[in-house]
Amino acid sequence: MDNGLTISDRDGTLNLLIRIGRNWAILFLLLEVGFFSLTGTGYFSLRNFQNILVASTTVMLLATGQTFVIITGGIDLSVGFIVGFSGVICAKTMVGLDAAGVPQFLSIPIGIAVALIFGFVPGLVNGLLVAKLRVPAFIATFGMYGVAYGVAEIISGNVPVHNLPPAVGFIGNGYLLYYLPGRSSLFRLPPNLSPEELKQVVGLIPNVVMIALLLILVFAFVLAKTRFGQHTYAIGGNMEAAKRAGINVSRHLIKIYMISSFFAASAGIIYVMKFVTGRADAGSARMLDAVSAVVIGGASLFGGTGSIVGTVIGALIVACLEIGLVNLAIPTFNLYIAVGAILIFAVLVDQFFPEITYKK
Amino acid sequence: MKNQINFKHQFLKNWVLLFLLFLIVLFSILEPSFFSLRNFNNILIASTAILLLAAGETFVIISGGIDLSVGFIMGFVAVSSAKVMQFLFAKGAGYPELVCIIGGCLAGIMLGLVPGLVNGFLVARFRVPPFIATLGMYGIANGVALKICGGFPVSFLPPLTGKIGNGYLAYYSSKSGLSLFQKPVLTERADILALVRLVPVSVIIVAVLLIIFGFILSKTRFGQHTYAIGGNVDAAIRSGIDVPRHLVRTYVISSFLASCAGVLLVLRFTMGNHTQFGATYELFAIASVVIGGASLMGGKGTIFGTVIGVLLLGSLEIGFVMIGIEVFYRYIAVGSILIFAVLVDQIFPDIIHHQ
Repeated sequence: MDNGLTISDRDGTLNLLIRIGRNWAILFLLLEVGFFSLTGTGYFSLRNFQNILVASTTVMLLATGQTFVIITGGIDLSVGFIVGFSGVICAKTMVGLDAAGVPQFLSIPIGIAVALIFGFVPGLVNGLLVAKLRVPAFIATFGMYGVAYGVAEIISGNVPVHNLPPAVGFIGNGYLLYYLPGRSSLFRLPPNLSPEELKQVVGLIPNVVMIALLLILVFAFVLAKTRFGQHTYAIGGNMEAAKRAGINVSRHLIKIYMISSFFAASAGIIYVMKFVTGRADAGSARMLDAVSAVVIGGASLFGGTGSIVGTVIGALIVACLEIGLVNLAIPTFNLYIAVGAILIFAVLVDQFFPEITYKK
Repeated sequence: MKNQINFKHQFLKNWVLLFLLFLIVLFSILEPSFFSLRNFNNILIASTAILLLAAGETFVIISGGIDLSVGFIMGFVAVSSAKVMQFLFAKGAGYPELVCIIGGCLAGIMLGLVPGLVNGFLVARFRVPPFIATLGMYGIANGVALKICGGFPVSFLPPLTGKIGNGYLAYYSSKSGLSLFQKPVLTERADILALVRLVPVSVIIVAVLLIIFGFILSKTRFGQHTYAIGGNVDAAIRSGIDVPRHLVRTYVISSFLASCAGVLLVLRFTMGNHTQFGATYELFAIASVVIGGASLMGGKGTIFGTVIGVLLLGSLEIGFVMIGIEVFYRYIAVGSILIFAVLVDQIFPDIIHHQ
């Protein structure tokens, strides 16, 4: 564009404007945290921030997978129900093995592995439909949304799966580090605590957050630094050009939908670990939150732009708002209005400062 | 030879209709009570809301857009029109019931035009992708609806509301003969059971709206422009169509029909409730439109096709319940039919793409 808004512009004000336009999401997040810290009670505390992170794991995981899909110019509507699908499979497997007398240290990893393997199936089908049969992504994944939900309800028999091995909740609700001056320990509470000491123990880094962050970091690296990531941007930017440059687009797209499905399956397993049940409708309401997080984080639905950092910030904006409103005892329905408004605002910023935010 | 091709052509073009007929026959054989006037009335009544949502969605999808907010606009209008009725009825020593009801309906429909107007402006003037603009509105409409009703259904409406919404055009009883609108006064249990109810009022309202909008889409210049924009925006602009204005109107139509669906819910249930989160009305409306032959790329689709799509899903739902299949198989069936519909479209493009 020839309106002079380029990054190399020396004009100070303009430079500031550019920076704000580029980083409005992170500024918004900081403003939000500042606001709630000043007005709420106990918002600015380690415990609360950890709660926010725990509350946002599902959306963060779904949104990370969704980022890959959206960058290629697609969309994955099935993620919400793949959460339930894989969660139910995970829980059923564990319960079955547990009942057969298999010890916990075996039944839990086997349950997780089975859920991950089956979790790839919906992604594979989505990918084949989109890439090979050229079904629009919206329709293919919406069809899968119905299929995954139906199968999950049938597997679970329309009741939540209970009676999981006790260690499941221990892992899902545990922390990496329990800190007590002089007596810290990893993964489990320090032994022989008096009730007084028990109150003072501080849990640091919830296990589920650690697992989610590890996964997100690995895939952030894949997207930003590897050839696979570059190809993803290339396909979303211009599919014809990507084909001519020799990228095997259909194979790449299948992998992308499998990544998204993998993240949804991971979110399903984490749900099981956290709540010690498997439910078919576990993630049903989270799919659109995930898409919102990706778009608030700067991705375009036309493909070609987006980043995992942006997505994580987008997910945090929603989670901080949710917990903040609860903290201030503001009814939750204001959250829906706020998220909708932020979403539209995010895209408007994108429209008004295209050259600013679209630079990679 | 030519006849054979023609046959295949016709067959593929109308596979949804044929599939609907096949389902009706199948369910009727498996469960004879499926094939009854009462049951068909029920299928139609159960489909009224989604029929209106899908008809509005048809306009939007033909123009190349999508409207995810329809389900929650319906809830928003339901609670606001119920609130107005409740207010007028409670205060209204002087207001007759009918005035309260009409006032509530009109107020609800007027309010329901606002989200459509906003959607249209965002999409047409500010070039926000329709998916995002209407997804934002989805949250906002849901939040506002919950705010108005406080999370509880709005009730204590004039009793006449339910009489209109659950009434029938005609009742036929062997004893009292045919009577219009008024249910004949019957005292014998056997007579009450034998009473034949013809054409539900809610279905008439929906049918009238569908015929009007079907006519607009297929026979007027407005409809032609809608197809033109969806087919090729640049060509439409060059041929002098005011595309932004047309798009705003398209989203307003979608919002208007969603509002009518909301008002109809109030009339049927005698209360205004917000749309449950995760009811995914919008997705079923979109599915019906696509099963009915529209393409998400824009440029094709018909109200007739959409109606068939909705009836297919409606018959499937009621049929599964009646023959005792667990209701969750329905989700699998809907998902598979949806994908199948698009695959037919992909594999036989030249057959179906003819308009």
